[in-house]
Amino acid sequence: MNVLKSRAVRVVFVLVTLLGVGLGGTSAHAQDSEYFIQAQVKEQQRDENGRPDNQPVVGVTITVTAPDGSEVGSAATDDKGVALIPVPAKGDYVVRLDESTLPEGQTIAATSNAEQVINESTFRTNRQIINFFTGESQRVEQSFFSRAAQRVADGIRFGLIIAMCSVGLSLIFGTTGLTNFAHGEMVTFGAMMAYLLNVRGLAFVSFLAFLPFIDDVGRFHILLATPLAVAIGGGFGYALDRFGFARLRRKGVGLISQMVITVGLSIILKNLFLFFFGGRRKPYRDYTLQEGLNLGPITITPRDLIVMLLSFVVLMAVALTLQLTRLGKATRAVSDNVDLASATGIDTSRVIRQIWVAGGALAALGGVFFGLDEQVGFDMGTQLLFLMFAGITLGGLGSAYGALVGGFAVGLFVETSTLFGVPTELKTAPALLILILVLLVRPQGILGRAQRVG
Amino acid sequence: MDWSLILSNTFRQMVGTDAMYFAIAALGLNVQFGYTGLLNFGQAGFMAAGGYGLGMTAWYFSISLWWGIPIAIVYALILGLLMGIPTLRLRSDYLAIVTIAAAEIIRLVVRSVRFKEQFGGTDGIGEFAGPFREVGSNLGIEQGNKYGFWVFEYTGRQFWTLIVGWILVAIFGFVVYLLMRSPWGRVLKAIREDEDAVRSLGKNVYSYKMQSLLFGGVVGAFAGMMLALDRGNVQPDNYSRDLTFYILTALVLGGLAKVSGSIVGPMLYWGVYVFIEGVLRGMTSDGPLQIGGVTIIQSTQVGQVQLMMVGAGLIALMTFRPQGLFGNREEMAFDDR
Repeated sequence: MNVLKSRAVRVVFVLVTLLGVGLGGTSAHAQDSEYFIQAQVKEQQRDENGRPDNQPVVGVTITVTAPDGSEVGSAATDDKGVALIPVPAKGDYVVRLDESTLPEGQTIAATSNAEQVINESTFRTNRQIINFFTGESQRVEQSFFSRAAQRVADGIRFGLIIAMCSVGLSLIFGTTGLTNFAHGEMVTFGAMMAYLLNVRGLAFVSFLAFLPFIDDVGRFHILLATPLAVAIGGGFGYALDRFGFARLRRKGVGLISQMVITVGLSIILKNLFLFFFGGRRKPYRDYTLQEGLNLGPITITPRDLIVMLLSFVVLMAVALTLQLTRLGKATRAVSDNVDLASATGIDTSRVIRQIWVAGGALAALGGVFFGLDEQVGFDMGTQLLFLMFAGITLGGLGSAYGALVGGFAVGLFVETSTLFGVPTELKTAPALLILILVLLVRPQGILGRAQRVG
Repeated sequence: MDWSLILSNTFRQMVGTDAMYFAIAALGLNVQFGYTGLLNFGQAGFMAAGGYGLGMTAWYFSISLWWGIPIAIVYALILGLLMGIPTLRLRSDYLAIVTIAAAEIIRLVVRSVRFKEQFGGTDGIGEFAGPFREVGSNLGIEQGNKYGFWVFEYTGRQFWTLIVGWILVAIFGFVVYLLMRSPWGRVLKAIREDEDAVRSLGKNVYSYKMQSLLFGGVVGAFAGMMLALDRGNVQPDNYSRDLTFYILTALVLGGLAKVSGSIVGPMLYWGVYVFIEGVLRGMTSDGPLQIGGVTIIQSTQVGQVQLMMVGAGLIALMTFRPQGLFGNREEMAFDDR
């Protein structure tokens, strides 16, 4: 993500923060004089770890004018970089930063304005906060090549995670025909379990604090929490099949009904996460502050590098297992043709159970890795779900190797799409394009087997 | 706990605006899923097409609100073609995947900074419903006055929206009822039962499925329009992925492949939903509910518990009573292939 070099670069941009609730916290019927515009001027810097470390800028004059040009008030920023200007009511205002009062050598960025407009509709509380970020205008213009290299590196990382998460989704589809709309929540589940062990801790295991990786309030180091979360994720997959979908299959509940049931499961799990975890994104305790390594044109933290290597190793292990072991061969046989596999003496329901376990474990690992990269949130897996769908469709629905190849390709494609003018906020949108194009041109995907449909 | 307040809220919500636009959306979804067996998981996308079709008229196109209706229909048709062309020749799950993805991408696009000029970003678009409300006040419904009787009291603005909305429910309900008794509707039901048999009779299954998807999508767009007119704005997060799932739950509750199911289902859904909310809020109003010193639920967690119950209800219905309250088990044959 971090395209900007950690040293010397002082990014300059302007952000308008609209704080919805919480500040002031008074009722909407407050008196006129209780409306304020709070302008905050900060010099955006980065500390040695490349994390934002903003400094207040003192003594900058901020002027508020009404739309007709009449001045409403002005103030200079205090030692916290804050200027508080009372306004008569909610309404449209223009907030201007007087650039001549900025300290020597500082400017407002090229990407921003010294003048910001507040609309009445955005005036949600009685204190409207507006941020001006300043700094030395030294934005490093990077060449297309170095930006591309960075995006490709990020894409590889993201692609490996998507591939890991998708294996279970694709294999469950291949063996049972079920499209599991709760698979995204299985990814979140893994990340949540690791968060529980790593950050919240289990107080009742604090007596084990003499062991490495466990501290005296029962919190596990992420190196230990991850394998545990993966194991719990596998157990979760087992439970879902044993107590859920295996029974439904026995009961003769059809696939479409089962699919709708996964939707219900997804709703329950997502809200369960929100219930216990809350809506904010939170990081794990370990390896959060890391300085990026400069490898040629790419900046990458050691954490991300290790996550990438581990992901690669795990995916190779999955591929080798599928290719060489009895279980792998049985899995491929079942996903190829359930009846034929069953006739050759393969215990299909056992294979399906094992796939749910493996799929749950891999989804959990993908979730932990994704959480290490971009923090843990209750809807992190939900947001990955449709990228996983795009990946396994591209690779071939039901094909195990297809999920690896397709998931990886989609991750890479999504990250690199920003190079070609796709805004970062919409970088997942091109995955829909992939999905539609694949279905139009080659619905069986890259590695799937053509089947007569319709 | 104030039971009379909870009950009166429950009854009021059963015919309130939420139940109204759910019912319209459910009617559309019923044509697709209940009658034809098409898994449209992106009804929220069609609703967004409707809402933004209206919202963009004054905001972006600078034209009269009423042009929003044809614009919304065109949006829904384009969206339906985009979803249908690649998927309707394939297995049914591909449609589910593409519709859920398309609805999510629509939400991302309309809330993006990049397209703020067209769609208003995360704030959405407001202040376009004026002409609609004027019609109401011209008919003598004063916006400030209260209308209704007993617990069913609404402000004039809501009342007008409700009248128009429930009339739309009646019209679409009647149209769907007639269509499903027509030869066209019988072909749709036959496709749900056995696609290959219909094909062997020389019917163009692809075309029929497409018509069903488009028809249900346009009805869904009307639901989005009513939602937008009720709120007086369109906001991207009103059209989230899960909205489709809640509508689906309401529809399954009422009963698939029944017109009455898609009208009564949403009413019951909202009745139960608001009732549960009232009870939970009552239990947590004086601080978190605690049993033996352990906090069970706080007032901020009520919404999540409600939605967990929605999910559990959907699972229970599909497992134990897939035909819902009014449905016919024999009409649930889309799974027998």
